[in-house]
Amino acid sequence: MSQVIISVGREFGSGGKNIAEQLARRFNIPIYDRHLITEIANKTGLTPEEIEKYNEKPKNHLLSRRVNGYSNSIEDNIAEMQFNFIREKAASGESFVVVGRCSETKLRDFKCLVSLFILGDMDEKIKRVMNIYELSEDKAKAFIDKKDRKRKRYHNYHCDGHWGDSRLYDLSINSSRLGIDRTVDLLEEYIKSRMTED
Amino acid sequence: MTAAQIFAVIIFVGMFIMIVLDKIERHYVTLGSGILTLVVVFGICMHNGTAIMDTLAFKNFATKDFWYQVTESESKGINWATIIFIAGMMVMVEGMAKAGFFRWLCMKIAYLVKCKTIPIFITFMVMSAVLSMFIDSITVIMFLAAVTIELASLLKFNPVPMILSEIFCANLGGSATMCGDPPNIIVGTSLGFSFFDFLTNTGLCAGICLVVSVLFLYFAFRKELACNGSDPVDMSKFPKPSEAITNKKDFIISSIIFACAVILLVTHATTHLTVATIGLFIAAITLIAFGKHALELLKKVDYKTLIFFIGLFIVVSGLEETGILKLIANFIGDISGGNIKLMIAIILWVSAIASAFVDNIPFAATMVPIIQSLAETSGVPISTLAWSLAIGTDIGGSATPIGASANVVGTSVAQKNGYPIGWGRYCKKIAPATVIVLAISTVYLFVRYL
Repeated sequence: MSQVIISVGREFGSGGKNIAEQLARRFNIPIYDRHLITEIANKTGLTPEEIEKYNEKPKNHLLSRRVNGYSNSIEDNIAEMQFNFIREKAASGESFVVVGRCSETKLRDFKCLVSLFILGDMDEKIKRVMNIYELSEDKAKAFIDKKDRKRKRYHNYHCDGHWGDSRLYDLSINSSRLGIDRTVDLLEEYIKSRMTED
Repeated sequence: MTAAQIFAVIIFVGMFIMIVLDKIERHYVTLGSGILTLVVVFGICMHNGTAIMDTLAFKNFATKDFWYQVTESESKGINWATIIFIAGMMVMVEGMAKAGFFRWLCMKIAYLVKCKTIPIFITFMVMSAVLSMFIDSITVIMFLAAVTIELASLLKFNPVPMILSEIFCANLGGSATMCGDPPNIIVGTSLGFSFFDFLTNTGLCAGICLVVSVLFLYFAFRKELACNGSDPVDMSKFPKPSEAITNKKDFIISSIIFACAVILLVTHATTHLTVATIGLFIAAITLIAFGKHALELLKKVDYKTLIFFIGLFIVVSGLEETGILKLIANFIGDISGGNIKLMIAIILWVSAIASAFVDNIPFAATMVPIIQSLAETSGVPISTLAWSLAIGTDIGGSATPIGASANVVGTSVAQKNGYPIGWGRYCKKIAPATVIVLAISTVYLFVRYL
């Protein structure tokens, strides 16, 4: 398999983003996470801050309406732009890592897709979030719950399957068991095995 | 309340909530609700086979009045005339779009005004209103917004004020004729009004409001538009209007068919051809003219909207047959205390406020039997109430980004091209414009009909 697309879904605080970055480095391929926002910003003339404001956020149903595939929701349109962007990248034959953006579903027609979901034990996630965001334990827990609720709503609105449901991904893994580095080692091996399949 | 009434209300409210929540596509929602109405309300609760047959209204196809109507008549149940007409116009519009008609028209007008920002702003507003008198506003805005963004990038102006103004004028233009906006088609075919009836009543009001709106929107947006309009325009950089035409033969044919549709609609009170006949005829000649591409046009027809209408009419029939709409009509009659002015104001403003937040099509379909009943009990001419309802639903939809289909399409096209339009940006200038137009319409209705 000459092309590989690694889709990384993740719980907030699970270290999923870190894992995705390490995988991108090990396979020497680009990663689309914040970079995706910059690419869309360049393409549309919006500022990265404007896109970030609506990024991976569910729309407000009461304030939005959809007509013949058109939506007045900025969240919907930003999401659609990102889906189109990763589809175009995938169709162009490029290998890359993409974090979130319903990529396990939006790119499922590409045979070179390896879809992963990173989860973690709550106490480990709290520790990580407390450390990164300098929050108290209670606030870190509330922050994780809030972020995950948003990701879940965003995912389940744009996809048929449920966020985090193992049936939707090739591999779901708890990063708290082996730690970030050994999880990356394991995933690297798995992806390499998949790449030698065809 | 009887069991039938309770179930009819539950199904209707449930349908509305499901449409607003947008979890399931709206045509599935109305069709499912329609089937529930037929089975639960008419079948299980009322044991009334006649009500089912009246609602399905298949027998209408066999009547002469359905195709050729000398005397005005009112219809009940599924409004097949509306569905056939909309389907016919969809086929025609697909043909026009395929030939490049809309893009050509936008580019031609931009060229005629020498690609200057303010003249484009004004002419595009007027064009949006005029086109929307005959063609669905979704198509009008889809093309106008796309061309506006293209021109904005060439002329370096912000397209948002122009797109917002085009949306507003499209909704206003739609209120001018019977075929301009789906609520008008429903009102017209249900109550037996002609294209000309609309033109001389709501059309005149829309004309007055258009002049005021163009002035208001010009003063509201002139600073945003004028900031970079001083540079000389290099016309050679612009795409030529003729480049928009994909096939000259198809372009000429679709233009002729469009002209035929306009003539048939304007004269249908004289020719006695119903909108169903016109819709079928226009679809047939478009398909014949496009020959081998006919199947392609048919595939592009928005069947989901047609199914949405069918389900909706059945659900509204459930409310009508069980007497719920009569109760609402009596309630409006009671609170207005027989005061015609108050009755007109209530219908206009309630329709407008409701249409600003919920789909105006189900609202209009529900309100038609209510105003029929209200006219019977209060003695107010049905036409006065019909114009109040049509203006209220059509104009009110402009107030918010979700009030009408054109608003959703216009804001979406802008957003996809890097111009986000949130509620605040949209409502800041367009909501006041809507209130002004509604106030003018209220005065117009009072002065002309009382």
